[in-house]
Amino acid sequence: MALSKKEISILIEIVFSIVFAFIFLPYFYENQDNNLILMDDLIGKIIEILIFTVIYFSIAYSLLEFVFKKKEAKDERDDMINSKSYKLGYLLYEFSLFIFIGYVCSKFQNKELLNLTGNQELYNNFNLTDAGVVFLILILLAFISIVKSLYQFYLYRTV
Amino acid sequence: MILKNTIKEYRQKKSLTQEELAFKAGVSRQTIISIERYRYKPSLELAMKIALCLQIKIDVLFYFE
Repeated sequence: MALSKKEISILIEIVFSIVFAFIFLPYFYENQDNNLILMDDLIGKIIEILIFTVIYFSIAYSLLEFVFKKKEAKDERDDMINSKSYKLGYLLYEFSLFIFIGYVCSKFQNKELLNLTGNQELYNNFNLTDAGVVFLILILLAFISIVKSLYQFYLYRTV
Repeated sequence: MILKNTIKEYRQKKSLTQEELAFKAGVSRQTIISIERYRYKPSLELAMKIALCLQIKIDVLFYFE
């Protein structure tokens, strides 16, 4: 299966999203019950993510340029594929935003209901922290990014 | 009705490779491959560019079947 330069650059993005999800998301998952200010070395983690991102894309795209020396023209087919895949990404983003808002509202509503029932222990465990919100947003963004890129890759192979 | 084309036939008559035609039309080789396989329907502008590169009338190059 011969892949074009554009297809490989999409695969680079997919691999990045998967690696990000497996390396950095567990940190946010473990700390989702904390507040951001109490998270263990958050600034260090953000710097780590930034450095990893810069190094990963620099190496990946340098290798890509080295292997595919010829420059590929960007044309209307690329625009069509990009518009279709970004449209899907945007729809997923909108849909997940609704789910996210619903989740946050239901969490607060349930918390109030628990308060009325007088179950203090459950009430105290029913928290939605800012770190939890950050974790949810990151996992949604990673998921949307992977789906968008996979669809883009599929279109490049089939259209 | 499917929009078909005779690009491959006329390209081979002109002894042009897909790469060369793509370069002349200002698109990628993958786009020419997709058009030749009827996977991608080009815009009128691109269709006219290809017709111009192959020196064929556009209605000969593209037809409905």
